[in-house]
Amino acid sequence: MKVLRIVSFLIVLSFIVAACAPAATPTPAETAASGSAMPDLGGQEIIVAVENAYPPFNFIDSTTNKGNGWDYDAFTEICKLINCVPVFTEAAWDGIFEATAAGQYDVVADGVTITDERKQTVAFSDPYMQINQIILVRSDETRFSDSASLAADTSLLVSTQLGTTNENIANELVGESRVKAFDTFDAVVLALLSKDADAVIIDEQAAQGFMATNPGKLKILPEKLTSEELGFVFPQGSDLIAPVNAAIAEMKANGTMDSLYQKWWVDYQPAQ
Amino acid sequence: MTAVPENIGESRLFPVTSRLEKLPWWALAIVLAAVLIVLSIFTSAIYQDAFNFIKEGIVTTIRVTVIAYGLSLIGGLILGLGRVSKNVIFYNLATLYVEVMRGIPMLVIILYGAFVIVPLSLDLINGLGNWFVRITFLAGVGQALQNINIQQVDMSARATAGLALGYAAFEAEVFRAGIQSIEKGQMEAARSLGMSYFQAMRYVILPQALRRVLPPLGNDLIAMLKDSSLISVLAVRDITQLGKLYRARSFRSFEAYNTMAFLYLSMTLSLSMLVKYIERKMSRER
Repeated sequence: MKVLRIVSFLIVLSFIVAACAPAATPTPAETAASGSAMPDLGGQEIIVAVENAYPPFNFIDSTTNKGNGWDYDAFTEICKLINCVPVFTEAAWDGIFEATAAGQYDVVADGVTITDERKQTVAFSDPYMQINQIILVRSDETRFSDSASLAADTSLLVSTQLGTTNENIANELVGESRVKAFDTFDAVVLALLSKDADAVIIDEQAAQGFMATNPGKLKILPEKLTSEELGFVFPQGSDLIAPVNAAIAEMKANGTMDSLYQKWWVDYQPAQ
Repeated sequence: MTAVPENIGESRLFPVTSRLEKLPWWALAIVLAAVLIVLSIFTSAIYQDAFNFIKEGIVTTIRVTVIAYGLSLIGGLILGLGRVSKNVIFYNLATLYVEVMRGIPMLVIILYGAFVIVPLSLDLINGLGNWFVRITFLAGVGQALQNINIQQVDMSARATAGLALGYAAFEAEVFRAGIQSIEKGQMEAARSLGMSYFQAMRYVILPQALRRVLPPLGNDLIAMLKDSSLISVLAVRDITQLGKLYRARSFRSFEAYNTMAFLYLSMTLSLSMLVKYIERKMSRER
């Protein structure tokens, strides 16, 4: 009898749970985004993963204590075009691709370089920005002036972020034994400033952000290491890739991308 | 040449010196450091900025620690009973869990749980759902199981579960030691009075054992408070994660680390004073 009671309770419970399960309520599309035929996601919420530790792509603003940066602005613009609602979520870089592939986030906006290796786990949007990898050094550095002289002096150490394409370049350039990889880029630059490392391999845009927050302490060597393309990251087979690509194309065409670049890499001065 | 040291017994002749020697200088040093940091939080704009930013994490740190600790106590008690059980299956399952979990670093447990166990078990749950919808009377359950989405399991819950699962193994050993510290005769006496095994545990053994393990349990709470900083690898906004974010935006690592260390230290030191108080109270009662 007890068993019967439990089973019947479970059945009733299952009906209640099924009844409570959120039904898909279509939100009416409010604004037609632009003149050209943009895809319309109907106000869908999109979970956007950001690291909040990679200025000026994403960081916590010192005046508002909320997330801010290029990624926030860019994805808000994209969502205006294709009628979606971005929900920005803080995520750690470590494991961000695995979590995205498992469906934890709808998209990652974190200045991610498009590589074939990463394409095996996740999918990418069309590139939205061209970036150069450069060598960041302390402003009083005189021992080397380019990648060749850096590689030649075996006493010099290179620092970079773990699991990035910057780390791959650093390993190729000087060998793994001379590379110190940290979890976040601020620790990387900190190591450079405290002389634990002599050079940092980093994306040019991020380097400019760090130079702005540390005026007079850092400089970029003139040599460009590689040119790479940045893209947004999606789970493979995501429905969002095509609409986001359309929005990126529109933003390149109507000058939004250029004004965002101007805003975050030319005009932006972090509050001190 | 038998030179007698002149200062023999000097401390006894000058009680002032001996009292000075016995003063807890280490505590004084900590208090001084704390006063300095509190002072700089009030006077320096930079420290104020860092403190105001990082203090939001205190609640998260405490919440995660308390929930994870509570869960680990429940799990640890069950596992501890398993460790002293004569039931072969119960004993071996509990021992397997304890040995495995104690052998894995906390950081690895948290990462493994968040990025391997949770996605895999969600696949399993969704798969069960697919299977249930085909069975008429379970269709409702199936539908609900199918709809469970990985985005509904937030990182804070995964981090808490990771801490609780890892610490359950340590608490299990604490409880086992406590139970085994009670003389065998008590269990025998209780059983011969007609109590069942569980009655004897519940009314005779555990009340005494619990009192004996209170200090080690308190120490584990302190250890867990410190280990809770590991959840920042899942971007859960505890003290450590906010410290990282503050560093990232301001490059003031010195102030950020000082504030973080101060916050953790003030919590752990007050907890350890509480543990000492409990210990003293218990030794008086015995």
